[in-house]
Amino acid sequence: MADTYTGIVQDRRFTFFAIIGERSSNFFGHLGRYCALMWWMLRNIHNAKEYSRNIYQQMVTIGNDSIPIVVFVSAFVGMVTAVQSAYQLYDWIPRAVVGSLVVKSVLLELTPLMTALVLAGKVGATITAELGTMRVTEQIDALEALAFDSISYLITPRVLAGMLMFPVLIIFGDLVAILGGLIGSVAVANIPAESFITGMKNSFETWDAVFGIIKANFFGFTITSVACYQGYFVEGGSEGVGKATMRTVVLTCLAVVVMDFILASVLL
Amino acid sequence: MIRIHNIWKSFGDKQVLRGVSFDVVNKETTVVLGRSGGGKSVLLKMIIGLIKPDSGSIEVDGKDVAAMTYKELRALRFKFGFLFQGAALFDSMTVGENIALSLRRHTGWTEKEISEGLRYALHVVGLDNAEHIMPSSLSGGMKKRVGLARAIALTPRYILYDEPTTGLDMETADGINLLIKDLRTKLGITSIVVTHDIHSAFVVGDRFAVLENGVALMTGTRDQIQNSEDEEVRKYINSSLPMAEGHRS
Repeated sequence: MADTYTGIVQDRRFTFFAIIGERSSNFFGHLGRYCALMWWMLRNIHNAKEYSRNIYQQMVTIGNDSIPIVVFVSAFVGMVTAVQSAYQLYDWIPRAVVGSLVVKSVLLELTPLMTALVLAGKVGATITAELGTMRVTEQIDALEALAFDSISYLITPRVLAGMLMFPVLIIFGDLVAILGGLIGSVAVANIPAESFITGMKNSFETWDAVFGIIKANFFGFTITSVACYQGYFVEGGSEGVGKATMRTVVLTCLAVVVMDFILASVLL
Repeated sequence: MIRIHNIWKSFGDKQVLRGVSFDVVNKETTVVLGRSGGGKSVLLKMIIGLIKPDSGSIEVDGKDVAAMTYKELRALRFKFGFLFQGAALFDSMTVGENIALSLRRHTGWTEKEISEGLRYALHVVGLDNAEHIMPSSLSGGMKKRVGLARAIALTPRYILYDEPTTGLDMETADGINLLIKDLRTKLGITSIVVTHDIHSAFVVGDRFAVLENGVALMTGTRDQIQNSEDEEVRKYINSSLPMAEGHRS
């Protein structure tokens, strides 16, 4: 960022400490602005009810429109988990264990994580591109000029919709993944359906499903809020929109895996 | 009344405005003339608080915009309509939805009243029956007209025009100029027009401020500007007029 440069830094810009300093300054600058945006959103959350139509529209876009890809990914996640679990089992281990492994893996980790990574691309990139384009074509300025709070109008509905719909998508995904696991076990791994279902029932714990839904909530907030931040503060025309979209996908994927580890460490 | 006093603004190393001062008289059209990239649009956005000056003050009806809270700014913006350079229409909405957005949010009108309001706004700008068209299907001139209809929907006291004729052919530009004049005459609206199109400026303007390199060289009437003995003002007028007249011959 040109504003943070001094003459000395410019001369030494390729030294190690200058680069670290610049990157740290950029990172903390962005982190501060992101936190300020979230604080503004929270402070004005009471405006959300006035934009309920926007929230509903975003729930349809984020939720309904994502069902096909979530179903597709979850089905294959379930199937490959079953097949690979069966492959790794020794002959003397009961085949019902495949059902246990599938349900545990899917509910605790695979469906929430894989769904979030896929939606980081689909939902995150879409939000950033939309808001970024609005920024560079002055539509956000136009909203402000019409006396709208652009953050309450544009960002709050998207973040709320993400937090509401990601858990719904994960629930869909869990069901489809378990069904996929059953199909994979029966059709590929030659495990009887009764064995799979017995193993599944023996291992199922309600907390596993709840944990996945809690993760989905955090992932939904992270992906939508980071995507909104990147789009809302875009600079540099259409090239800037492209770069911001790419940054959203990368940052949200990284944030999701880090958050996945933190939540597992804290809640399990 | 709008008073602009000693405004300074820079973006990074680039000093965009250097101590700009002038007043905007009620029920008149003030034109801010200057070359592209001279800070005119920045000045316009400062008037409604979209951008904050580094120093100086902008007073609207006696209150300093830079010192306002966000709540006060939102209240201030009800007094203004803003026509952006590219019209800035919301491209996910139809023409009617663009205009009705602020009516729905900021008035207690019924749907019938909102419908009548938006039809009136479209009629004023000469675009009857256009409410169902999407912005992507509109020409440049039509977009500006819809942008103007959206700006006047809440019957503002002031209208800000950012390069209203840029990118338009002569005939369409003349149509927009006439609209601007009409709005002042029929609705008594105070306008600030920012443009580098000197011909349009002299058609619509009552008072002028000439910006060059971020400095207000001169403010005055058309005759005062055209007969100015200031060398910089003469240089600007002489360099811009032949170009404007060439386009029209």
